[in-house]
Amino acid sequence: MSNKKYFGYAGKILTVDLSSSDYVVKDTPFDLIVNFMGGKGFGAKILYDELKPGCDPLSEENIMVVATGPLTGTLMPASGHITLSTKSPLTGIWLDSHCAGFLGPELKMAGYDAIIIKGKAKKPTVLVIKDDGVSFEDGRDIWGKFTFESQELLRKKYGENCQFMCIGPAGERKARFANIVSGGRGFGRGGSGAVMGSKNLKAVVVKGTRGIGIYDLDGFMRICTEAYNELTVSPDTGGGRPKYGTNSIYSFMIEAGAHPIKNFQTGVFKAVKECNEDVLDKKYYKRHIACFSCPINCSKASRVDDGKYKGKFTEGPEYENMWSLGAQCGNSNIGSIIYGEHLCDEYGLDAISTGNVIGFTMECFEKGILSEKQIGFPTNFGNDDAIIKFIKMMAKGEGVGELMSQGVRQMSKELGKGTEKFAMHVKGMEIPAYDPRGAFGMGLAYATSDRGACHLRAWTLGDEILDVRDRMDPFATEFKAELVKNQQDFFAVIQSAVVCLFLNFGLTQRHITRCLQSLTGIKEWKTTEDILKIGERIYNLTRLFSMREGISAKDDTLPQRLLREPTKEGPTKGVVVDLDTMLKEYYLIRHWDREGRPAKEKLIELGLDKYKV
Amino acid sequence: MPIADHKKCTGCRICEIICSIQHHKEMNPKLAMVRINSNWPWEDKVIICRQCKKPKCVEACEYEAIERVDGCLRIDEDKCTACLECVKACPFEGVVVSEITGKPIFCDTCNEEYLCVKWCPHQVLSKT
Repeated sequence: MSNKKYFGYAGKILTVDLSSSDYVVKDTPFDLIVNFMGGKGFGAKILYDELKPGCDPLSEENIMVVATGPLTGTLMPASGHITLSTKSPLTGIWLDSHCAGFLGPELKMAGYDAIIIKGKAKKPTVLVIKDDGVSFEDGRDIWGKFTFESQELLRKKYGENCQFMCIGPAGERKARFANIVSGGRGFGRGGSGAVMGSKNLKAVVVKGTRGIGIYDLDGFMRICTEAYNELTVSPDTGGGRPKYGTNSIYSFMIEAGAHPIKNFQTGVFKAVKECNEDVLDKKYYKRHIACFSCPINCSKASRVDDGKYKGKFTEGPEYENMWSLGAQCGNSNIGSIIYGEHLCDEYGLDAISTGNVIGFTMECFEKGILSEKQIGFPTNFGNDDAIIKFIKMMAKGEGVGELMSQGVRQMSKELGKGTEKFAMHVKGMEIPAYDPRGAFGMGLAYATSDRGACHLRAWTLGDEILDVRDRMDPFATEFKAELVKNQQDFFAVIQSAVVCLFLNFGLTQRHITRCLQSLTGIKEWKTTEDILKIGERIYNLTRLFSMREGISAKDDTLPQRLLREPTKEGPTKGVVVDLDTMLKEYYLIRHWDREGRPAKEKLIELGLDKYKV
Repeated sequence: MPIADHKKCTGCRICEIICSIQHHKEMNPKLAMVRINSNWPWEDKVIICRQCKKPKCVEACEYEAIERVDGCLRIDEDKCTACLECVKACPFEGVVVSEITGKPIFCDTCNEEYLCVKWCPHQVLSKT
C-alpha cells in the first residue's frame, strides 16, 4: 500500500538516537518537501537547523541524514540513488554523498523518505529498519569484518533482498576518507564511513514492502516512456556509456590533456595504448550491471584472467578509479587497478581520495621528502605493488598509512617542505580525475563545489571537451561562471529528486520537471524555473552551512600547482588556470559578495533570510 | 509464454516496477509477478512463470491451490499453505514467492501484452 498523502513520497521521516536506542517517526513536513524536495535538500535544511556549529564531525554530536527524493524508487530511469548528508571529518565542512544501487528504493519501500541518525551507540550496533519497526541489534560479531563479508552475513541473518549500508575496517577506525558500502556500490567521498564508525554503527539493514503512489498515472507513464526513448537515442547514455561504462570518456580526456598524470605533474600518459576503455572492454569487462530502474547499465563486472592479479574482480573499475589507482600513480597495470578498487571497497575506503594520496606520497618519495626508510619500501610512480600495500596500510592505519589516511591536506601539513603546493585538494577534499589546466571550467567547479574538490557539483567537460557541435574553448574563462553556477543548481535538484546525475546526458531539465509534476502533483512546482530555484536555495544553504564552519572566499581556490605551475608537455603545455577571472564573475552571478557571502537580497529571494551569513 | 535470456539481464528491475504499476497502479517491486534474483556481481536471474502446458507446480501442490484461470496459472491464497513445494518442483526456477504473503504469485501475462517484455531495455524477456 502506498502513501496517499503526498504522491511520490513515503511520507515519514525516521529519527534514530543511537545513544539511547530510541527512535521517533514523524510525518514528512510539507514545507520541507515544497522548498527542499528531498535528498540533499532535506540534508541541508535538517543539518543547518539541527547540527551544533563547530562540532567535531567524529563526535556523537554529528548527525547523518540519509534521504531519498520523490523520484527515488520510481519508474523514472536511474532512480536507484540515495543521499547522505553530514559534517565531513575529512574537510570539516558540508558533505553530501550519493550512493547508487538499490538502497534508496528499499528505504522508501520500508516507508521512509529519510533517516536521521544521531548519537553514538555504546557498542558495535546494526540498525535494522523494516516495514514493521526499527531495532538496534548487536553488531559485535561482524565488527572488524570486510564490507562484502559483513553484508553476506547480514543477508543470511535478515533474509534475501535486504539492502545495506555497511562500513569496513577503515570506517571502524575512523580513517578520514572511509566510505560506506551498499551492495557493490557506496557513499564514496568525504568520510561518511568514519562518521558511521564514530557512532559505533557497523551497518544499517533496510527491507520494506510498501509502494509509491502516482498523482497523474497517464502523464507519468508518458514522460517516463519519453525519458527511456531519449536515453536510448542519446549517443552518451544510449551508446558509449552502456558499452564502456564511465570509462567511455577515458581516451577523450587523455587526448585533451585533462586526465591528470602522476599527481598532476603532466597531462601526457605514455601507457595509454595498454590502458584504455577498449582494453577494459575486450579483456576485463565480463558483464553489464544496472542500478534500480536504469537502462544505461554503466556498471561492469570485471575480472582478471591472467598474470599477477589473476582471479581478482570488482564491480567497476569506473573512470575515477581507473585514474586514481592508475594514471595518478603512473600505473597502467589494469589488473592492479581492479584489485585495488576491490580492496578499497572491501576495507571501506574512498578510492578517489585513496589514489590521490598515493600519488602524492609517490611524488614525496621521488622528491626525497619521504624516504624508503620512513615508508618501508620504494614507491616510485608506476609501482603497483606499492599501491596495493598502501591501500592496506591506510585501511589498517599501519606505518605511514596512518598519516596518509588523514587525507592529503593533513599529510602535507605534517610533512611541510613546500608539499602544500602539490597537495591536490580543495578545502581538504582530494581532487578527482580531471585536470583543470585542460578544461578551465573544472577549476571553477572544484573551487566552488560545496563539499570541496568534486566533479559532481558541476561537470563542465561535456561542454568544454566532448561536445562536437558547440564546443566551448576549454582554455577560455568566458561563460564558465554561468555554466558552473547553472549546473550546480540543476545538479542540486537531481541530487534532491534523488536520481542519477547521468540522466543529465540524455534528458533535459524540462523532462525532470514534468516527471516531478506528474508524479507528485505539487502545485508549487509549475515550471523548470520553480525547480531550479529549489536547487539554488539548496546550494546557497550548503554555502551558509560551510561558512558557519569557517569557510570564506580564501578557501575558494585551487592548489598552487594548477594556478602557477604550467605543464611542460602535451596539449596543455604552458597552461595554468585563470581562476580569479572566473571566480569574480561567479560571485557576481550568484549574488555573493567579494568575501563569497550570499547577498541579503539573494537570501530573501530564496526564502533563506532567517539564516545568518 | 515468456522466456528469459539470463545472460543479458543487468538487474535493473524495470520489469518488476512496470508489473506493479500495471496491476496495482503504484510502484512496488515487492508486488510484482516477476522477480530478479541477484548473485552479485556475476548474475541476475529473471524469475517468471512460463505458463507450462503440463505444469509441475500444479502436480506438486497437494492442496490443489494452483489453478488455471483464463489460461493463466493462479494461486488460491486460501488453500495455499506456503509450503513452497511448487517452487522446488518448477524445472525453470520460475515461481515467484511474495515477500509480503510468503506465497507464490504467478504471472497473468497482462492479457498476453506482457508489459515486462515490452519494457525490458535489453530484450532479456521475450514471448514465444
